[in-house]
Amino acid sequence: MIKRELAGLMVALAVLLAAVAGTEAGEPKRGGTLTYTLHPEPTALSTIATTAIPVATIASKIYESLLEYEGPFLTPRPGLAESWSVSPDHTVYTFKLQRGVKWHDGTPFTSGDVKISIEKVVKPYHSRGAAYFGQLERVETPDPLTVVFRLKQPVPYFLKAFQPTESPILPKHVLDKLDLSDAKSVRQSELMQKPIGTGPFRLQEWKRGSHIILERNPTYWKPGRPYLDRIVLRVIPDGAARAIALENGEVDLVPMSSVPPAEIARLAALGHVARSDKGTEGLGPIMWLEINLRKAPLSDVRVRRAISLALDRKKITNVIWFGQGKPATSPIVSGGQYHDKSLKPFEHDPGKANALLDEAGYRRGPAGVRFKLVQNYQPYGESWVRQAEFIKQELGKIGIEVETQSLDFGAWLKRIFTDWDYEFTANSSHNYADPSIGVQRVFHSGNIKRGASYTNSMGYTNKRADELFDQAAVETDGAKRERLFAEIQQILREELPVVPLMELDWIQLWNKRVHGLITNGISIYTGWDSVWVE
Amino acid sequence: MPPTALFVLRRVAQLVPVVLMIAALNFVLLHLAPGDAADVLAGQAGHATPEFVEELRREFGLDRPLHARFFIFVGKVLALDLGRSPIQQTTVAKLILERLPATLLLMLSAILVATVLGVLLGVVAAVRHNKWADRLISVAALVAYATPMFWLGLMLIVLFSVYLDVLPSGGMAKIGSGYTGAAYALDVLQHLVLPAATLALFYVAIYTRLTRSSILEVYRLDFIRTARAKGLPERSVARHALRNALLPVVSLAGVQLGHLLGGSVLVETVFAWPGLGRLLFDALMQRDVNLLLGILFVSSVVVILVNLLVDLLYARLDPRIVYK
Repeated sequence: MIKRELAGLMVALAVLLAAVAGTEAGEPKRGGTLTYTLHPEPTALSTIATTAIPVATIASKIYESLLEYEGPFLTPRPGLAESWSVSPDHTVYTFKLQRGVKWHDGTPFTSGDVKISIEKVVKPYHSRGAAYFGQLERVETPDPLTVVFRLKQPVPYFLKAFQPTESPILPKHVLDKLDLSDAKSVRQSELMQKPIGTGPFRLQEWKRGSHIILERNPTYWKPGRPYLDRIVLRVIPDGAARAIALENGEVDLVPMSSVPPAEIARLAALGHVARSDKGTEGLGPIMWLEINLRKAPLSDVRVRRAISLALDRKKITNVIWFGQGKPATSPIVSGGQYHDKSLKPFEHDPGKANALLDEAGYRRGPAGVRFKLVQNYQPYGESWVRQAEFIKQELGKIGIEVETQSLDFGAWLKRIFTDWDYEFTANSSHNYADPSIGVQRVFHSGNIKRGASYTNSMGYTNKRADELFDQAAVETDGAKRERLFAEIQQILREELPVVPLMELDWIQLWNKRVHGLITNGISIYTGWDSVWVE
Repeated sequence: MPPTALFVLRRVAQLVPVVLMIAALNFVLLHLAPGDAADVLAGQAGHATPEFVEELRREFGLDRPLHARFFIFVGKVLALDLGRSPIQQTTVAKLILERLPATLLLMLSAILVATVLGVLLGVVAAVRHNKWADRLISVAALVAYATPMFWLGLMLIVLFSVYLDVLPSGGMAKIGSGYTGAAYALDVLQHLVLPAATLALFYVAIYTRLTRSSILEVYRLDFIRTARAKGLPERSVARHALRNALLPVVSLAGVQLGHLLGGSVLVETVFAWPGLGRLLFDALMQRDVNLLLGILFVSSVVVILVNLLVDLLYARLDPRIVYK
């Protein structure tokens, strides 16, 4: 008798404990507001207008695409498409769409929306539209819930294209009213400011200079989602003020390193703040010294090697960037699938650098100076200035006198990418989901284009590298593709058209009451429908 | 027509060529900066083909030659059409009107606090001339003047928002609160305290010193001796003295009113106050030429009008001044 009662009591206790543990450990709670801050304020609410980080961050809550992704390598999962199939020759992709999806204004979502969005808007007007859909011949819509993409040639990374920031699906019933042949009419349309999407959140209020409020989409197609009632973006122009807002609880989340690096370290040490460098592997941020190969003596590869040897990347990472990243060994980030793991870390050896420059005939002059160089840097904040000072100091030790030039963003872009009027500049960019998107555009000689930012400003031409890039862009065999990219990385290591410095982390800081934020390699650019707050 | 009215009319008529000249100068200066809005927008996108950038230029009207753009601009100014910001995708007028109330609120509060407090302290310092009160106020004024506004703002936030947790760290109102009426006013007031105090402190220092020296100077003048000799009570003498001494303060306050319209960038940045100063700075970084020109245009008109008002006020206060 007693034993049975005792057993019953134990079971009840166990159930109780499990329930309590469940809520403690992470039973998503419905309701609440997530407030985040990111600088600068978005200029639009769609990545068709611009793919700048603040816009991508907020637009991805409002718009969706055919797929969602899992893990750092972006394994495709159902999104607006519940299933898909690929033809054996990888040129036909068939997607079956989810049923019962509605636009924020109640109109039903159909394949017609996908067709017009990709063909008429994303492909021509998205800044990476050509990279993803350049091989797209046409989109077919045999029925309202089926979409077929026909490609001219295989695109090995095609399934990675369907991220909400890269290929947002827009409403046909709104697009039909616009002149889609005119870029201005699309990018300046009201849709960019007053979005209508299928996503878990919709726009409630935008008070410029102050805040944006997104509210839950009550007719969202995923049952029970989103958990949050609202997402609020607070506009706070000053980095220190953003840090304070996180510290005193006025803001729950500061994504994408939107506070100065010194503050990141301090905030992460607070008991109520969590820190993560995960969630952006699908962006693949990398930093290097971009070198204008047209200018002597930088045209001499020995000089570039000497510059590389003179720089202590560990110091740069740990001292200047507070350990928020790791030294780079290649323009393809180590978190990427195609990173060549056999590449050894870059050597730091000023002695070798000196010897190399001597041997190359650049002797030291009377003041110990071999030659002068002018350096620029991406004007994204204090740490870039510190880094430039450090580089000046280190290159001074091997007899290169460096003059640092300070420009604001607009002026810097023009000098580097339009005028090609620079010698070397610190620069950062994204690999994105595949090297054919983010890396090819920097090193392929076909991308030497005046006025196109973040392209081949160096004037780098290597026929073999071009061939390899062209082949990799259509090679569907994974192993073969790896070999192609490996060879490219070997060439880039030999020739150093850029001197890779560091894989900069994008750091996320959030109040521990926020849960479910890091889900995949593009966590900040997802709908946050599974994010919840205590 | 009374001479003053003619004077006003003349000044208002002068407004047009002066503002046009300023606008033209701004236009030229802004276009001297390297890089344009298309560059910046494409750069922020992180990747752009030259075709994309060229398209943007066409959209923004930046592909036309400079002189053509200039004449279009002048035409628009004369028609009071401030144009459109291609980056923010609304009309410049709307953007300015959205931010103007916030700026006016901040500015007027700061000037009010600064003049009242400054004059008060200045009077105390002058009356207690060379005593410890005077020394204390003078030194405090110097420190306040020398303190960088930016640092002061951040320190106030740390003190009142983090440690004491009595005031919000930024913004103009509690987001999504749904407050209306008195509750809203109170909420804005709470948010206004720190930025207005930061902005005001600098000007308090100026007004304190100015009032103090002005009063001391006025007290040395002959008419004060005459008034005392006539047997006027010291209180009346003080009233006369103050009225004279405040003339330069009025002048300065007027000038600074116009100055503050676009110049509170630092305070607006630190406190995330949604005003024109910050808008101006952002527009510059983005090379949003239409917006910049619009803000500068509004700013120059306001400055000129305020100067006119100050001159008129001055004439009211000082009977010696007659406008012809």
